[in-house]
Amino acid sequence: MTTVFDEIGILSAATENSVIAEARKQGKKIIGYFCSYVPEEIITAAGMVPYRMRAVEPHGTSRADAYYSSMNCTFSRSCFDKVLNGDFDFLDGVIFMNNCDHTRRMHDNWRHSGKGPEFIHMLYVPHVITSDGEGKYREGLEKLVRELEKHYNVSITGTALTEAIKLHNKKRALLRRINETRKSPELPVKASEMLRLMLSVTAMPVEHANSLLERFLDALNGRNVSEPGGMRMMLAGGCVEEPEHLEMMESLGAAIVADYICLGSRYADRDVAAEGAPLSSITERYYRHLSCPRMMNDTRRRFDYILDTMKDYRARALVAEKLKFCMLFFGETFLYKEESKKHGYPLLVLEREYGDRTEGQQKTRIQAFIEQLRNFD
Amino acid sequence: MYYAGCDIGSLTAKAVILDDNGILASSLIRVKGTALRSASEVMDRVLENAGIRLDDIALCCSTGYGRFDIPFSDMHLTEISCHGIGAHWLNDSVRTIIDIGGQDCKVISLDDRGLVAGFVMNDKCAAGTGRNLEILARALNITIEELGPLALQGGRSQSIENTCSIFMELEVLRMYYKKMPIPDIASSITEAVARRVMALTRSVPINDSVCITGGVSKNSAVVAMLETMIEKKFVGLSHDPQLAGAVGAALYARQKSAREHVC
Repeated sequence: MTTVFDEIGILSAATENSVIAEARKQGKKIIGYFCSYVPEEIITAAGMVPYRMRAVEPHGTSRADAYYSSMNCTFSRSCFDKVLNGDFDFLDGVIFMNNCDHTRRMHDNWRHSGKGPEFIHMLYVPHVITSDGEGKYREGLEKLVRELEKHYNVSITGTALTEAIKLHNKKRALLRRINETRKSPELPVKASEMLRLMLSVTAMPVEHANSLLERFLDALNGRNVSEPGGMRMMLAGGCVEEPEHLEMMESLGAAIVADYICLGSRYADRDVAAEGAPLSSITERYYRHLSCPRMMNDTRRRFDYILDTMKDYRARALVAEKLKFCMLFFGETFLYKEESKKHGYPLLVLEREYGDRTEGQQKTRIQAFIEQLRNFD
Repeated sequence: MYYAGCDIGSLTAKAVILDDNGILASSLIRVKGTALRSASEVMDRVLENAGIRLDDIALCCSTGYGRFDIPFSDMHLTEISCHGIGAHWLNDSVRTIIDIGGQDCKVISLDDRGLVAGFVMNDKCAAGTGRNLEILARALNITIEELGPLALQGGRSQSIENTCSIFMELEVLRMYYKKMPIPDIASSITEAVARRVMALTRSVPINDSVCITGGVSKNSAVVAMLETMIEKKFVGLSHDPQLAGAVGAALYARQKSAREHVC
């Protein structure tokens, strides 16, 4: 019998999963987007399906290397290589944001490559959290709404936005409930399974995602996947989207119980306020949700989140990951070192390439870190 | 009772057999095509040296990059922990280890029990490793064994600024074409490799009692250069420092057996 865990294994491994393919058959438009500052609610309210961009089923970077330098991160190069290979031809539009220079450049490269779709939009998001910045972000969202309406000849009404907010709030609430189960000493779900779940529910209509999340939550009831001697850890980083990478960590004795990653708990942080003008509520939530290191004046809040979460989930140590040439997490992980000394938690910083091309070295570092932690037991 | 430690690195495979009194035999070979072939061959040799059979081994622990692929091993531990256990057993004053192997270099700090308190590994490239030395020696058409003695004869070394092994090789070739004396170039190479290793000590500081392990511990010029840079003499180990990881693995197997026996 196929379980919900088998289901997410299949859904997460495909660039265009069966649910997205079915939605397309029914005439739904699929809109790709990058990063956590692009509100899915706007896409849903336009009657379309938000699809979080990814680089699963990678082909390497050889095609993308004609556009990028080897000093660009391997996520961007792997993802753009898939663009050039036609893997994302099923998309009807793509919404970028100025998250980092690597994905920012992908916007230029994608346009230059002539590989569809026609609608390629850049949402400008300020790099600081201020009241002026919030106004600027709001302008960006208004422009995004106008452009979507104009290009696709649709109307994104207040009623549709309110309905989309309800659906996406439900999705976030379900994800938070699933994450909460990881506080238990008997771990009901592995981090690799959580990542597969996240990859699945960010690539399907929100109604389908909510149904999948409800079934997933039910399946956790009474489940225990704890391994004897598993070391409870928190994982921090940006682009961690390879479940196999987390499985490798788990095989070495890591029990990742909490995270601060793009495709993790950050996604489910805070609801959009149900009251008030919907676009204002969306603006407030997406601009002020748990930030990523691109937000330059919010470092303390991120560090406090990690500290509090480690305590709540009884994580003994922090593993912080960055992709080579990721300047945002390069700076952030440097500061983690100071934080870990100040607050006395063990820290392992891993620098790696997308797709685990240096798995042997990663294994040695992770296993040695766990051995070191066990020395203090 | 006999216990085995099997350390399969990127360039060499090492094996040590312990009994309850100490080291009974050891063996070191150049790696073969696969981790399994390397492990089988180095174990055959060490068993022959010890005059025992594989069935006589009570427990075997593997370590090194090939640690996962050895069917006759009962457990595996990273080379970081094994070098800690091994070096501390060979000299219990050791608190810091600089381990320079074929593919990577590490600085490991130990507590007073010989357990790892912190570590750092090279993560940018091969610079500062045995492979790096080998590539640069080959550019001069000499062997890695010849490099150390030649470097010690060298007078004025010239700084090699590139970090990348390939670009370092180009710098070495430029010195060669400019007819710089070979001993001076060899000295420049060892100085450059030592500087790459020193970069790691910014993350894990060097304590008073520091030793060097791994294959590069045999390179007298790199050892001398590092001692100058850290302003300390390395403390000696009572057995070949290149075997410290295999010794640590065998000791871990012996400790594990003792714990299980007690339980």
